[in-house]
Amino acid sequence: MSTGPSLERLLRRLVETPPDFLDPPRHGGAGQLRVAAVVNDVLIGYGHPASEALLATLSGDLVGVTTNQLTLSAIMAWLLTDDAWRACHFPVSKLGTLFVEAAPALAAEADAKRYVFEPERREELARTTIARLDLLPHGETANQAADRLASVSGVERRRLLEASRAAEARARAIREALARKAAEESADKWTRE
Amino acid sequence: MNEEPTDAERYPTLTEAGRAMLKHMSEHPSAPLFRNRSGNRLLSEEVEALRAYESDIATAPFTWSANHPPAWLEAFTAQLYAQVPFYREQESPASFRAISTVHRGDLAADIARFVPDSVPVERMINFRTTGTTGHPLVLPSHPVVAGRYLAYHKRALRRFGIEPGHGCGQMGVMLIGMQRKCFTYVSVTPTMDESGLAKINLHPDDWRNPADRARYIDAMQPEVIAGDPISFAALLELSLRHRPRALLSVSMALSPGLKAALLDRFGCPVLDVYSMNEAGPLGVYDPGLGGHLLLQPGMYVEILDAEGRELPKGQIGEITLTGGFNFCLPLLRYRTGDHGAIDNSDAGPIILELQGRRPVRFRTHRGGWINNIDLTHALAPLPLSRYSVHQSMNGEVTLRLASTEMGYAADAVARLSTALLGGSVSIAALDTEDKMLQYTTDLPGGLGT
Repeated sequence: MSTGPSLERLLRRLVETPPDFLDPPRHGGAGQLRVAAVVNDVLIGYGHPASEALLATLSGDLVGVTTNQLTLSAIMAWLLTDDAWRACHFPVSKLGTLFVEAAPALAAEADAKRYVFEPERREELARTTIARLDLLPHGETANQAADRLASVSGVERRRLLEASRAAEARARAIREALARKAAEESADKWTRE
Repeated sequence: MNEEPTDAERYPTLTEAGRAMLKHMSEHPSAPLFRNRSGNRLLSEEVEALRAYESDIATAPFTWSANHPPAWLEAFTAQLYAQVPFYREQESPASFRAISTVHRGDLAADIARFVPDSVPVERMINFRTTGTTGHPLVLPSHPVVAGRYLAYHKRALRRFGIEPGHGCGQMGVMLIGMQRKCFTYVSVTPTMDESGLAKINLHPDDWRNPADRARYIDAMQPEVIAGDPISFAALLELSLRHRPRALLSVSMALSPGLKAALLDRFGCPVLDVYSMNEAGPLGVYDPGLGGHLLLQPGMYVEILDAEGRELPKGQIGEITLTGGFNFCLPLLRYRTGDHGAIDNSDAGPIILELQGRRPVRFRTHRGGWINNIDLTHALAPLPLSRYSVHQSMNGEVTLRLASTEMGYAADAVARLSTALLGGSVSIAALDTEDKMLQYTTDLPGGLGT
């Protein structure tokens, strides 16, 4: 993983979130902030426009997408406009994933405004964004970054637990596949070592 | 859940001609008792893909040379760190040479952690290997991976001017074993127009009449016979008329004496293939080059010292592998336990002085030390299928020979005694059929190299 922005810089960026971004998002006919447009502008800036599916998700027309998720997506978009990201090398395809996976998970956990106003939630949002872009906070090792993210983020702790369960299930599936009679019969090779 | 596979699963593309070939091989009056079932398991689209693969591998150039890694190494490493659980749990390395090596024990501890996330488990197969280092392994593989072996065998055969041509109604390859218990079966090779494949055991217990062994081989007329030095030594005992176009020897070192005897008897190229379950056919001994010419352009080979440092070309160390064609088990700095030196040749990288497992030093009668390779050279002229040499704490040396090869005992003892600068060498029978450590010692200084 390559180095990303410093944590301090992103925390400052979040503290400076313009009030407009915290305005009620357009949702079901109410609200004014058009989150899909905001996010798309940011992604276009990275040369990777939002997919149709993501635009629909953030349009405010879907009942299943909460205003809290939309507000958090707007805050994330603000965070991503910091110039510090420009010097980082990360797969831009991950930007879409950030809004599809991380934003709903964080929004389900806490009010979006807490990710701006509360120090620990700010750190959670900044660290999550860095990690999901396959980057490390400037000056931290991979282990340090993983430990600190897990310590501030319930979402991350659950994600790690689920990943661990998925890994164990996969390992079990492989072991079972290798023990099947069909696997034991193997297949033709012109030589057998 | 654990159901017996069907023939449709064993031979998904079988035609009537292929079925007739299976019948011919299994129901011939001199046929052995085929104790098992297996097949190629290849789907029709996989057969097509394998033909293209063989064509690519036939001419694929090496894009790396000794101590000069290939350009694909960086992307390959990044992919493994993203997709293989064992590596994903670790920090990304600062450089390729900073990656910790793995060995057989790591794979044996939990092989599932070395399988990439992208590999589906539904059609996974396994290859079991007992090994000599106390780490039995069940290796994940796939019918396509097994099918790819042939591309490398053909590359090796082509080096000796042989282009396998047997097809429909003919036997392409006969795999011979010589064990009390052996996995035996018949199949067909779809990429070779369903030429026959029979894996047989030359042990007399597998035949209605031991004389059927020669009759069956003569009747089947395999284009290629594959085996190990033990089974080839047994083959020499049979009164065969058939002359295959090539012999492929794998699994153990083929002594020059046995090779010469096979060459003399069958009058065809005898290929000494360096191959292992973890990696497939890696190299073929080329007398003109004086070493094993590597066969897999997609397998980067390093020679490492005991501390994992890369050795310059020409220096003997542990053969360490990165890459490979088994997409179920991509290797990253895998220490094979085998030793040799690497060098370049016009035909590609070569392994010199290939020696299985860890080098052992033997104390001479005069108190100095010699490497086991000197003992290998001393015994090389004898047509021995296998042997082991052990030095006890008191310095006594015991040579073990197969009971059928005790006729060479006096000559072998004299040669060893000369290499060890005098002293007595006792003789004993070698009764194991499995791979064994060829050179062992009780002397503390014997493993010091």
